[in-house]
Amino acid sequence: MLPEQIAKALITESFHSRRLVVTIFVIVNVAALIVGWLWPKGYTASTSILVDERTIIQPLMAGAAVATDALDRSKNAREVIFGRRIMDLVLEYGGWLQTQPSVEEREFIIEEIKKRTVISTVGKNILRIEYRDVDPERAFRVTGKFAELFMQESIAAKAAESGAAFAFIEKQTQEYQDKLTRTEQELKELRSSTLDVRAGEGEVTTRLNDLYKRIDAAMQELREAEVKGASLERQVSGEAESTAAISREGQYRTRIAELQSKLDTLRLSYRDTHPDVVQVKQQIQDLTEGINAERARREQLKGSGRSEPDEAVVNNPIYQQLRREQSQTQGTIEALQARIAELQRQLQTEVSRGKRMHSGDARLAELTRDYQINRDIYQDLLRRRENARVSMNMDSDRQGLTFKIQEPVTLPQAPVGPRFLHFVLGGILLGVVIPIGFLCLRLQFDPRIRIGSAIAVAHKVPIITVVPHLWSPRELKGLRWELALLTLVVVATVAASAAISAIRFTKVL
Amino acid sequence: MSKIEKALNRARDGRGNLQVVPVGAAGATPSPGTAIVADSTAHPETIPRMAKGEVRLLSAGDLAQRGIIQPQHSEDSAVQVFRDLRTKIIQQGHGKNAVILVTSVSKGCGSSFIAQNLGAAFAFDMGKTALLIDCNLRSPSVYKLLANAAAPGLTEYFENPDLDIEEIIRPVGIARYRVITAGKRREILEEHFTSEKMKHLMDTLRRRYQERFIIMDGPPMSKIADIRILSDLADYVLVVARYGHSTNTQIENCLNAISDRKLLGVVFNDEPRIPRIR
Repeated sequence: MLPEQIAKALITESFHSRRLVVTIFVIVNVAALIVGWLWPKGYTASTSILVDERTIIQPLMAGAAVATDALDRSKNAREVIFGRRIMDLVLEYGGWLQTQPSVEEREFIIEEIKKRTVISTVGKNILRIEYRDVDPERAFRVTGKFAELFMQESIAAKAAESGAAFAFIEKQTQEYQDKLTRTEQELKELRSSTLDVRAGEGEVTTRLNDLYKRIDAAMQELREAEVKGASLERQVSGEAESTAAISREGQYRTRIAELQSKLDTLRLSYRDTHPDVVQVKQQIQDLTEGINAERARREQLKGSGRSEPDEAVVNNPIYQQLRREQSQTQGTIEALQARIAELQRQLQTEVSRGKRMHSGDARLAELTRDYQINRDIYQDLLRRRENARVSMNMDSDRQGLTFKIQEPVTLPQAPVGPRFLHFVLGGILLGVVIPIGFLCLRLQFDPRIRIGSAIAVAHKVPIITVVPHLWSPRELKGLRWELALLTLVVVATVAASAAISAIRFTKVL
Repeated sequence: MSKIEKALNRARDGRGNLQVVPVGAAGATPSPGTAIVADSTAHPETIPRMAKGEVRLLSAGDLAQRGIIQPQHSEDSAVQVFRDLRTKIIQQGHGKNAVILVTSVSKGCGSSFIAQNLGAAFAFDMGKTALLIDCNLRSPSVYKLLANAAAPGLTEYFENPDLDIEEIIRPVGIARYRVITAGKRREILEEHFTSEKMKHLMDTLRRRYQERFIIMDGPPMSKIADIRILSDLADYVLVVARYGHSTNTQIENCLNAISDRKLLGVVFNDEPRIPRIR
């Protein structure tokens, strides 16, 4: 349906239901007058509190002290002000407790006070508290009290909060300090216990290598000396034997030769039976036996390995030379053996030191790691503790969160909220809007048809004509009177509203 | 309406189509639009055969009181509406006379008002006559136009074989306008409409005068049987719905009972219009 059609239908219907429209207009106006007359006057007192955290300290302590977020300020303020403690104090202060209300009544009064209190933030740092009351004096006092209690409570709460935070961080710091001390102590003990190990810590490998080399060299030398010694031994033994054997057998053989020549000479003169020859033969025999005995003794000595150099041997310069060398070699061998033993001892010492060093290193690394972690945390905690201390000191010195009454509460002079005139004007407006709305609804929902074209649309039949109401002279006369009367009623209603407004305004009533 | 249209209307309805009111007629208060002419036996505005019954015509005040439109109120939107309706019907019948049944979707929709004024609109035209038959036997209303309400009507015609058609056709005090009232109320009246006599009556009325348009003021659609019978007798059917009164359901029921062939359309009656109050 077109808007023009609706408007036309609405005008038609308004004229058709003119009595209803005027009746609703009058009723709405009278109702608005009554409501406006009885509407309680409300007085609103308000105060603004400047919540200042941007003190001169803040830039100095940037990043150190933590400021409250401004976004939640009005919410926080509402929580604080509507808290049980402040509300109880306000109840008492506002004189609500004089009538000794029951617990339920008190709850009701508190709820009513909450409804009449508006807490808002103006800009970033200004908190506005508004309170409405029928009594201007009480509105004034309660608003002031709200502001005062809120400031007290906030400062105390913030101080308590930062104090608690400091105490907590302090406790944590202490714990970490203890841990750090323990770790330090352990580290110290470990360092002292491995002090010897730690000296020349980096040279262990070098020294071990050196020792191994020296041992190898000494062993080599020893082996050489031993070979030499054995050789000399063999040489010494051989020289003595040969010297002794040669000397004694030689003597025997010389004597035998001498005796043989003597014998030969004798034989030339004497027979074998000659005593001289026999004697000489005997001597030769003895000497031969002597040689044999010597040989046997030498063999025997050789078998026992013992030589008893005789003087001839000893006096032999080669023998003496060999003996000397042998003695020297023996000394060398003994010296080398002693050195090797020493080197091996040193090697053992170095190896055990190396082992101790490695086990100490692992423990040291562990302790050092613990120490570093604890130290980092401890330093962080120390920093935090100092921040907390600064925050606490700021709060205790009222430097962190300062409140300043930006706009002090004043005794409200004029009532706020809808005034009588608003009700009167609203009544006139509603007196027009409500009947029109009613007619609109009726047009929309009443099954009885009021728009001819709707029939054509609904039933697909032509509307052959729309016949207007034919006014008879009598009807017209009646209509004239009726319209005059209705106009009079409307004018009288508006005039009465205006008159009552004027009376109310001049406070005659 | 432009001056040309007004002039055309006047020409169509005949020299201003002044209502002829005899001087000294009872209760006749001449209105500004009413001409006062001398008493005479023949009126130049009247078809000669009808002059007999039109000695005493209703005054403008009487017509207004009875809710009948008057040609001199040509600026009145109701007059224009009925003229237009008349023209549409004439166009529909290609100039031939017709029988038009006017019925309403429910009681109280004003079908009698429409029927009476449609008759008056036909009678505006000097070349045409109108006959209104009150077929709403249970709740008749046409008799209100007559001074003598007790005169015989349709029921008497059905029940009295001696009664001639001419005896039940009555002038109402409007030029070229006649009516047949419902007559005295009787029980079980519907059968009369199906009777041969009714057919005979309608045939006679229709054939006798070619300029005569017959309007049947039918009962409301709550009497569906009557409407069906009557619509058989009629050439066209007009359904009357009333502002703020009729519902879509009623209209739907009504339209279902009528042949689409005969249905001229719906007349939406009594739309409120703020009158000019002088």
